[in-house]
Amino acid sequence: MGWLPGGGRAVTKKATALRLHRALTRIWASDPGWRGWLTTVNHTDLGRMFLTVAIFHFCVAGILAMLIRAQLASPRSAFMGPDVYNQVFTMHGTLMMFLFAIPLFEGLAVYLLPKMLGTRDLAFPRLTAYGFWCYVFGGSMMIFALLAGIAPNAGWFMYPPLSSTLGSPGINSDFWLIGITFVEISAISAAVEITVTVLRYRAPGMRLSQMPIFAWYALVTAVMILTGFPPLILGSILLELERAFGMPFFQVADGGDALLWQHLFWLFGHPEVYIIFLPAAAAISTIVPVMARTTLMGYGWIVAAAISLGVLSFGLWVHHMFTTGIPHMGLAYFSAASTLVAVPTAVQIFAWIGTMWKGRPEMHLPMLWIIAFFATFVIGGLTGVMVAVVPFDWQAHDTYFIVAHLHYVLIGGFVFPMLAALYYWLPHFIGRRRFFRLGETAFWLIFTGFHGTFFLLHLAGLLGMRRRIPSYEPGQGWEVINIIASVSGFLMAIGFALVLIDIVANALVAVRGSRDPWRAGTLEWAMPTPAAAYNFASLPRVASREPLYAEPDLAVRIARGDGYLGDASRGRRETLVVDVATGRPEHLVVFPGNTALPIVMAAVTGGLFLGMLIKAYWLVPISILGVMALAIRWVWTLGAVADEGEIPVGHGLALKPAPEVERPPGWWGTLFLFVANATFFGSLLFGYAFLFTIAPNWPPPAWAQPGIPGFALLALGAVAAAAGPRLARARLAASGPLAGLALTIAGAAALLGAAALTVIGLPDPSRHAFDATVWVLAAYAALHAALAGLMAAILWARVRKGFIAPTRRGDLNILGLWADYAAGAALIALLAAWLPGVLAG
Amino acid sequence: MRDILRLSLPLTLWLATFSGLYALHGLLCSSRFAQAATPDEAGRFLLTAAALLAVALQVALLLALRSGRWGAPSGFVRRTSLTLGLIALVATIWTSLPIAAVSHCL
Repeated sequence: MGWLPGGGRAVTKKATALRLHRALTRIWASDPGWRGWLTTVNHTDLGRMFLTVAIFHFCVAGILAMLIRAQLASPRSAFMGPDVYNQVFTMHGTLMMFLFAIPLFEGLAVYLLPKMLGTRDLAFPRLTAYGFWCYVFGGSMMIFALLAGIAPNAGWFMYPPLSSTLGSPGINSDFWLIGITFVEISAISAAVEITVTVLRYRAPGMRLSQMPIFAWYALVTAVMILTGFPPLILGSILLELERAFGMPFFQVADGGDALLWQHLFWLFGHPEVYIIFLPAAAAISTIVPVMARTTLMGYGWIVAAAISLGVLSFGLWVHHMFTTGIPHMGLAYFSAASTLVAVPTAVQIFAWIGTMWKGRPEMHLPMLWIIAFFATFVIGGLTGVMVAVVPFDWQAHDTYFIVAHLHYVLIGGFVFPMLAALYYWLPHFIGRRRFFRLGETAFWLIFTGFHGTFFLLHLAGLLGMRRRIPSYEPGQGWEVINIIASVSGFLMAIGFALVLIDIVANALVAVRGSRDPWRAGTLEWAMPTPAAAYNFASLPRVASREPLYAEPDLAVRIARGDGYLGDASRGRRETLVVDVATGRPEHLVVFPGNTALPIVMAAVTGGLFLGMLIKAYWLVPISILGVMALAIRWVWTLGAVADEGEIPVGHGLALKPAPEVERPPGWWGTLFLFVANATFFGSLLFGYAFLFTIAPNWPPPAWAQPGIPGFALLALGAVAAAAGPRLARARLAASGPLAGLALTIAGAAALLGAAALTVIGLPDPSRHAFDATVWVLAAYAALHAALAGLMAAILWARVRKGFIAPTRRGDLNILGLWADYAAGAALIALLAAWLPGVLAG
Repeated sequence: MRDILRLSLPLTLWLATFSGLYALHGLLCSSRFAQAATPDEAGRFLLTAAALLAVALQVALLLALRSGRWGAPSGFVRRTSLTLGLIALVATIWTSLPIAAVSHCL
């Protein structure tokens, strides 16, 4: 009878696990029915939604690609006229780059990261939902433009003057500038979310050296989005200001320069290539060791290579501009940097080959896709080194050689690894074991179709076939290449259709799968699939890079509540925040529940963009007021009006809740938002310096002259804004923070006054690029001053409601960040605007 | 957060000096500003001095990351930050070579 007590314990433990599961499901579940889609803030739901919408955009862009190939299949094609063709190729590139590739990474990261890191959700669940809905609404704008025949038509990089009112007088370019900027809110939101989550929301004990390699790549990619997207957002704003209000940033006659757009675009555009490649590398680094039944070779080297690639990619932007007539030293300088970037890429390739060499690779479908990646990406990488060499680039620039190169890099380096990822994590997404085997047929169709489409196009480019031409004359040696490319392109499309059918069929009718079908070691497989809304019934303590290899029974112990927070009795959505380096638990976070606030706020934000798009400018201030009201409601629900003190979280540990710590999650989110914001500001200053130094038709008719009142307001405002939050914190326990808050508001008002004096002196921003730039600098300073003042006013109200106390001062620290930034930005922006006038006397 | 700084600082310094050198080159070659007043050899001297300063800063950072005072206590972060410091130093030298070899305003 020796088995009875043990068996009894097992039954009890199963019952405990089931009770815990039911309790946590009640707390974490999304709303039932259709309402759940609109109000969910859960990362598993939103990750799946991101992935689905991204795949939808991929299908639309794929159909456009087939239209392009149909057009180019034969010479003198009359399938589409040039106007339609221009819209089709512009939207193909735009959808693939902005509405498919980046959101697919966001979707994968949103779905996987909390599961891999051993936590229950991303850092800011409502922000995830807000970003998703901005993506959906912005994407809908673009799809509407396509269906209505008014889609962008100036190429996916929108060079002025072709994209300005001179070349594109219609609304087409506005859709691109406004729609893509709207979508980029989603990218910035996701990047802040991912950065804070990877650094602070991990399983207890998970040190930096024990993070899954996917998390390292996601961290680098997210920081790249924070620093790579702002130059493009700035460029889009400047070009739209030029189109809508005649502010001549890119008009040579009035002191602007079209090359400024190229600098801003490629400051984004080249890192974008690596923003797309690094998530693919993350998937490869995760999948290869599992498929090879071993561990990743050179983890530290891969981390170093990913960081190197992320930063080095920001020093390559001019290699897209080799034919614009920049001096030889500039060419050689960026050529050197461009060749350098091959080194960390090669380090990763060799680490993956070494991992396969070390293990015994099993040729499952994900592994097939990874082999296809190697075969394809290496070719794309090598042609990349070729175009980094200036004389070759002069010959190949804007030809089909470049089209072939970029598709080898993007399809080989992103789509193939993402297909590997899709099939690798498919059992996790759908909770079923793959039964239908259409995927293998699809693999061969796509692989052969891809190389058939693009390999010979290198040759077409070398034979002089220029990109973006709607038709061509016979007799140039391009006909055979193009018909082969078009037939192969359709084969590839059939392959992608089969992948879609395979996934849908398996999701609907395949048999239920086991928990860890690949026998992987990372934490996302330590849960039943499809995943429960809470991910982990209790949070594991991690002491290894592959926790499931180190502790084979870990999943069972997590399920029965043996880890941290294995008690649902408080009835709240709880998780832990840890120290960045050591993974030591630091405090407890309570997540918000389901809410329609993100979708409503995204819709109201959309009103702002729509108002600018259709020139209904009355809608813009209404939408801004709406966003402000919703933002106040958003932050109002955060924090607490009473102290909870230390709360037991399991294993004898008690931690304070987030409202009672100095730097709550919102402080970290704000910090990384400012990384993006500062990059935007830095890009603006770069643009100003560029025009000042290089653009023709300077000096302007007049310089900005604020006079002594301007300088006085700026100096007093900056000091007061920066001192206010400090005073509020210092006096919090004694006389309360209201005097400090009042000082902050007064400082913000003074800064607003200084900005107003600046533009009053230059009443016509359409006169010269200098006037236009000064207006933007002043607007930037004014916006931040207004936000700091508004935040201080909101905190005033929160003080009166009891949210702020000597033990709950996190809000004041967040205000401190805003006020310091507003003061610093106003000082730099306004002094930069005034300095030429001061020097000129 | 200090460990994240140790990991991100070397290449960020490379990016800052790389951009700074390019900006200086732009200024020296601008027809409105320095080119009119600065002879070609003086421009090259300034660029070379700035590049040497960039290399010196990278060497100083690498030494700091090796030191007991500024280096990381964690073995993984220490090794990775030193690797990145070395990569940044090599990158600085490699991307500065055109300054010595190519006519800067042609």
